[in-house]
Amino acid sequence: MGLNVIVPPRPTKDSLSLGVQHSPEFACIPLKICIGNLIEANQLGADTFLMVGGCGPCRFGLYGQLMKEIFQDLGINYHTLIIEPPDTGYWQFVTRVKKVIGPVSWWKIIQGIQLGYKKAVIVDKLEKYVQEIRPREFNKGTADKIFNNALQMIDQTQNLDELEEVFCLTKEKLWHIPQDESKDVLKIGLVGEIYTLLEPFASLEIEKKLGKMGAYVHRSLYLSDWVKEHLLTTRFFKLKGNDYRSYASPFLNHFVGGHGIESIGASVAFAQEGYNGIVQVAPLTCMPEIVAHNIFPQVSDKYGIPVLNIYVDEQTGETGLETRLEAFIELLEAKRKKVDRKITIC
Amino acid sequence: MGWKIGIPRALFYYTYFPLWTTFFQALGVEVVVSPLTNKAILDQGTKSVVDETCLPVKVFFGHAATFTNKNVDFLFVPRLISVEKKAYICPKFMGLPDMLSASKIKHPPLIKPVVNKVKSEQDTHFLWDCASPFTGKWLKIKKAWHDAEQEQRNYEQKLIRKYLDITDDRKLNILLLGHDYNLYDHYVNMGLWQKLQDLDCTVFTPAQFSKEERDSQLRKFPKSIFWTYGRNLLGAVYSFMQRPGKKGVIVLSSFGCGIDSFIDNLIIRRLVEQKIPYLNVILDEHTGEGGLVTRLEAFIDIIRWRRDYHQNYVSSYGQYVGCCKGNVGVHGTKCDCTTSSYKR
Repeated sequence: MGLNVIVPPRPTKDSLSLGVQHSPEFACIPLKICIGNLIEANQLGADTFLMVGGCGPCRFGLYGQLMKEIFQDLGINYHTLIIEPPDTGYWQFVTRVKKVIGPVSWWKIIQGIQLGYKKAVIVDKLEKYVQEIRPREFNKGTADKIFNNALQMIDQTQNLDELEEVFCLTKEKLWHIPQDESKDVLKIGLVGEIYTLLEPFASLEIEKKLGKMGAYVHRSLYLSDWVKEHLLTTRFFKLKGNDYRSYASPFLNHFVGGHGIESIGASVAFAQEGYNGIVQVAPLTCMPEIVAHNIFPQVSDKYGIPVLNIYVDEQTGETGLETRLEAFIELLEAKRKKVDRKITIC
Repeated sequence: MGWKIGIPRALFYYTYFPLWTTFFQALGVEVVVSPLTNKAILDQGTKSVVDETCLPVKVFFGHAATFTNKNVDFLFVPRLISVEKKAYICPKFMGLPDMLSASKIKHPPLIKPVVNKVKSEQDTHFLWDCASPFTGKWLKIKKAWHDAEQEQRNYEQKLIRKYLDITDDRKLNILLLGHDYNLYDHYVNMGLWQKLQDLDCTVFTPAQFSKEERDSQLRKFPKSIFWTYGRNLLGAVYSFMQRPGKKGVIVLSSFGCGIDSFIDNLIIRRLVEQKIPYLNVILDEHTGEGGLVTRLEAFIDIIRWRRDYHQNYVSSYGQYVGCCKGNVGVHGTKCDCTTSSYKR
């Protein structure tokens, strides 16, 4: 669209500790990582950051405002563009967006959105393949290598044809990985807060770890589903993703902000589909996930499905997490062998 | 027939007790309120929910547990989503009845009406859910609600104070910020009010500024805040900064409170700009009072010094006030260093 976009580097421990220094103590980890990452992007030459606003009840709605004030205090030169959701009418929203992107034709914008969305869909499709292959592959890590390579290629594609080509190529490559077809893998549903689910660094690559331990992992949230449900759905046409919310009743009967209700709904759905266990990942002090956490014992009781709750914070030591996951998986194995529904792990 | 309804003395009880007690009494229902918070209640609450939950919710569960073996027909636990337009309370309040049902506490049947005024002010469903177990007469319910709202307005009106106490020179004006359930539960906040009064302070709370004043002051903030308690706190800070006199601000928040983690940070920035001293007290299950008393006394001393000796180099919050040599002047003895940071 003619804008010069600087993609911040992937979050590392450095960006986290930079973020922790400058953000409020009890803020959730996504804010801390974002702040650290934006400071790094500033050092790379970015002069404007774009943030979406919100209208609650999750804290995310105030991120942009707080970041602006933090950067002001630090003396970092940053222009802030906060796109608020259309609460007072679509026209206002449209004019705001127009102000941000400048004189670009709407046709180009639509094309840009289409390409971005297609990219998200394809990345998610490939990721689902990888999730299936990970526990079964003989040579651990092959699928991840191919996937990372594909991500770089997708990033560079300019139109839909190229994208399709990359997709087919990667699919072929993934299919040719030698796998142990006879292995009976554990099925684990990964639920929780969107940022910690989608950003591998924030959750200490929990998905990869579970995969390497021999479990098939399915997430409750994928980026393309989220985009479909929240950004491309308007009053005039509705696109529905996986609707996990309807499963949450009678455990949780109301929207609690963030992804609390999706967490409960998805775990009920997973339990009904015959998954072996649920892992919940959430940032410490995340309000909607705490509500969900309080309700999990009831879900666990009713469906006999074990739940492991993991809160992520500034702590980046991986051994503790690995031990917990290993223990959880061993318990699941033991439970599956006995087929005794009475053993509950929670 | 005499119905009995139980209301836990926690969370929203502290904001809306005139409304609810009057309403249920007008319907001919006896209102039973749980006892004041004590150690047994807090312990019970802590045991009933997961560790990550914040203190007020734990206290709420403790209070709900006191109704286990009591002769009460219903327990009143509304699902408070929003009490004003475009503002929520807190995600935890939205899931409160569900969290209570999921816990191991045995409780009487719940009355859990939904209060949601995000989009419209209509309260028909709420009223009907509240009152349908007791009476079917719509007019009676409407009348009771009207009286109750009147009572609530009177109560809020009584709390409002127009001026700071600048007639008495010895007294300091302290704005005590916090959510209602932390401010008025004297077990949870360890008798902070009494302690402040013993130190010759006049205590102000957000409720002492009228809602109109708070909302009009809040326009200074570039974005509309979508939490009712957040609006109260920030609005009160803006209003308080307008009034004359020597003052300080104490913020009471609970450990792990998601709303306060952001709102406190925004408040600090505004107070540091105005050089108003600020103290952040974070409450949790800890009940040792010694640490709190020391911090309070130190804080009050800072304000006294700033008032009596005009020593503005006493840090208001979070900034380093020494000079380049690391000397910090005490009682007017200034460092001769030229690059001192306390020139203001």
